[in-house]
Amino acid sequence: MKRYRRIADRILVGVALLALWQLGSWVLGTYWLSTPWLTISRFVTSIASGEMIRHAGYTVEEAALGGVIGAVPAIILPFALRRMPAVVQVLDPFMIGGYGAPKLALAPLFILWFGIGIESKIAVVASIVFFIEYFSTLSGVRQLDAKLVQMAQLVGANERQVARHVVFPSAVPNIFAGLRISLPIGIAVAVVTELISSNRGLGYLVQIGAMNFDVTQVFAALLGATILVLAVGYAVDGTERILLRWRPPADSQQQQLGTA
Amino acid sequence: MTTIDQVISTPAEPLISRKTAVLLGQLGFAAVLLIAWQWAADAFGIIFFAPPLAVLQRLYEMAASGEMFWDIWATLKVSAIGFVIAMVAGAILPFGLRLSPRVTEAVEPYIFWSQGIPKYALAPWLILWFGIGELPKVIIVIAMTFYVIFYNTLAGVRAVDFRLINMARVMGASEKVVAREVIWKSIQPFFYAGMKIAMPHAVGACIVGEFLVSTEGVGYYIEHARELSDTVGVFAGIVVATALVLVINALVNWLERRALAWRPVARDMR
Amino acid sequence: MAPPFLEIRNLAKRFPTRQGREPSPWVIRDLSFAVGEGEFVTLIGPSGSGKTTLLNMIAQIDAASDGQILFSGDAIAASDPKSLRPGLDRRIGYVTQDDNLLPWRTTIDNVLFPLEVQGRLDDKTRAHAETLIKAVGLSGYERYYPHELSGGMRKRTSLIRTLVYDPPVILMDEPFAAVDAQTRAQLQEDLLRLWEMGRKTIIFVTHDIAEAIALGDRTLVLTKQPTRIAAEHKIPFRRPRNVKDIFALEGFASVYETIRAEIQ
Repeated sequence: MKRYRRIADRILVGVALLALWQLGSWVLGTYWLSTPWLTISRFVTSIASGEMIRHAGYTVEEAALGGVIGAVPAIILPFALRRMPAVVQVLDPFMIGGYGAPKLALAPLFILWFGIGIESKIAVVASIVFFIEYFSTLSGVRQLDAKLVQMAQLVGANERQVARHVVFPSAVPNIFAGLRISLPIGIAVAVVTELISSNRGLGYLVQIGAMNFDVTQVFAALLGATILVLAVGYAVDGTERILLRWRPPADSQQQQLGTA
Repeated sequence: MTTIDQVISTPAEPLISRKTAVLLGQLGFAAVLLIAWQWAADAFGIIFFAPPLAVLQRLYEMAASGEMFWDIWATLKVSAIGFVIAMVAGAILPFGLRLSPRVTEAVEPYIFWSQGIPKYALAPWLILWFGIGELPKVIIVIAMTFYVIFYNTLAGVRAVDFRLINMARVMGASEKVVAREVIWKSIQPFFYAGMKIAMPHAVGACIVGEFLVSTEGVGYYIEHARELSDTVGVFAGIVVATALVLVINALVNWLERRALAWRPVARDMR
Repeated sequence: MAPPFLEIRNLAKRFPTRQGREPSPWVIRDLSFAVGEGEFVTLIGPSGSGKTTLLNMIAQIDAASDGQILFSGDAIAASDPKSLRPGLDRRIGYVTQDDNLLPWRTTIDNVLFPLEVQGRLDDKTRAHAETLIKAVGLSGYERYYPHELSGGMRKRTSLIRTLVYDPPVILMDEPFAAVDAQTRAQLQEDLLRLWEMGRKTIIFVTHDIAEAIALGDRTLVLTKQPTRIAAEHKIPFRRPRNVKDIFALEGFASVYETIRAEIQ
């Protein structure tokens, strides 16, 4: 019963927001705010004609390639450096600086280097994903339970086997936590970089809409971008749920004693 | 009795202490980066890679002419205004939501979904509304920083220990006192955690916003230099932007240490 | 005369002294005993008697400060931590106090883990694993993850994980301490039954006198730090033992009392 009431409440809020939007559009004019109906129908038309899909595809391509190029070294590095804590310490301030610095601010630099094509977007996405994923993986490797490593050594595992069977699976939850944050950001960042300078992608659609004073186009493209960002987030969540079935539920960490 | 325990009880004294070794390693790494930078400038040409010395010189010029400070001031001004508004909204909303779990549940998915909107992408639309200037920038900064503070404060509000509240009430404390002493004190670490992330975020957001919608500020300087193919300017601007954000970061860390001196500081990343 | 299967001679252990401090106290000093092949020896001592440290040294995951450990006459005690060989190339199995199951593996995969790592995974060894799973009553739970199992079930999994690769010597560190009395009695019976099947050499550490008597061929009593062997008792009861009714056996009370007095 409570579940249905919650769903009903949420639908209510959604309808209220749409009504508010429509109201604003009547008061201030369609020119400024478009309307829910116009936006959605433009969105649907754009999908049907393939335009939205095509540009979304470019954005996804940029985010995917950038994500891989950024995440792979970021994940490998903490494992490779597991036995060399001194090196990790040496790198620490540089990594923290890189993490804290606004990588999106480098976008003009990347555009200068790589032009307005796909490469500059990939570079921006990769630089952001790299630092997020590095710290996530690092914390996962650090949290390793030394007793599990000891157990593996006792049954005869060598270094490589320990890394593969104990260290890596132990860090996977943290790696996923990092991906949950960095991949949707990758999409958003690709869109924004396209805004600054591009001739393809969802950000480009937004920019075109703005240049033509076509607010409906802007909103439709924004809707597409938002759906994409949320979809990637849900996809990572879903993958995580499948791969990490073995994890104890968050609040029942205690051992069950006794009952055989 | 053999004397094997001597081998174990006195480990060999290393030549240099670990701390010194790490420091040397860091200086060495920084030196390598600088050398690589210079090499890249020679190899790829000035259009792509401004030489370090030229960048240094430009920085000096920017500082001497005062241009650097005007730009920094313009950026900080907007960041601060946006940050304060976002902080107020982000901190108050969870308290308001706390009053009605039903409203919270109804509204929560929309807050979550709205986070998916690439906020910088709102810039062109904001320009249509407000023209190029400070208001669109402030709105973007608010949009970027609001979520961090909101979610952190929300987590803090939810984590408040009900037993402490009940205990305070039993002792006869008024709601106001309960709110101030128990709830606010418990929330503080979460709130500060949010602020810590949000402050540098705000500055970064402002700088990026300036790429799209401005005529002044550090971000504007960078984008403007790029349009003129002034690579030295782009590099110099990025140096300023990065330094600015890192300084704010350090400032916030320092403030946190002082404010939470009574709490054992959570040490991650160590 | 053939050397004993496993011999500990004058074993000593102290943890490294920090710079500028006084020498740290001896945890173990002048500890000696011998174990015959196929013997089930129980070690009992008060808490703080370095029992786990002793097992760690035998299992080669910790280095001795002095003394020798001899395996079939070959000295294996390492004084240098870097040259330790954990598990002595799988000749020494170690069932630790924490079950240390890999949380991301199912029961069957956890049990097969040592075989996988040793490259000995084939139909025969798989069948052996299945037999062990059945023997401890875990049939049907092969695909469960550790967090879905009770404490007692995890213990059993940890136990057969060590048994599955047949190490000639098995060390056990208070493996049944964290479960309730009924489960413990059941686990003790399971252990004895499995031991009868293979007759491995077992060194079993416990703080429970009754358990020490019920399970062992011999019981060694340890002192407080610096730990040595205070006394040795041959357990007179015949095998197979009925763990649940051991209290009723004639002579149990006197052995129990003797040991209890020695532990003070």
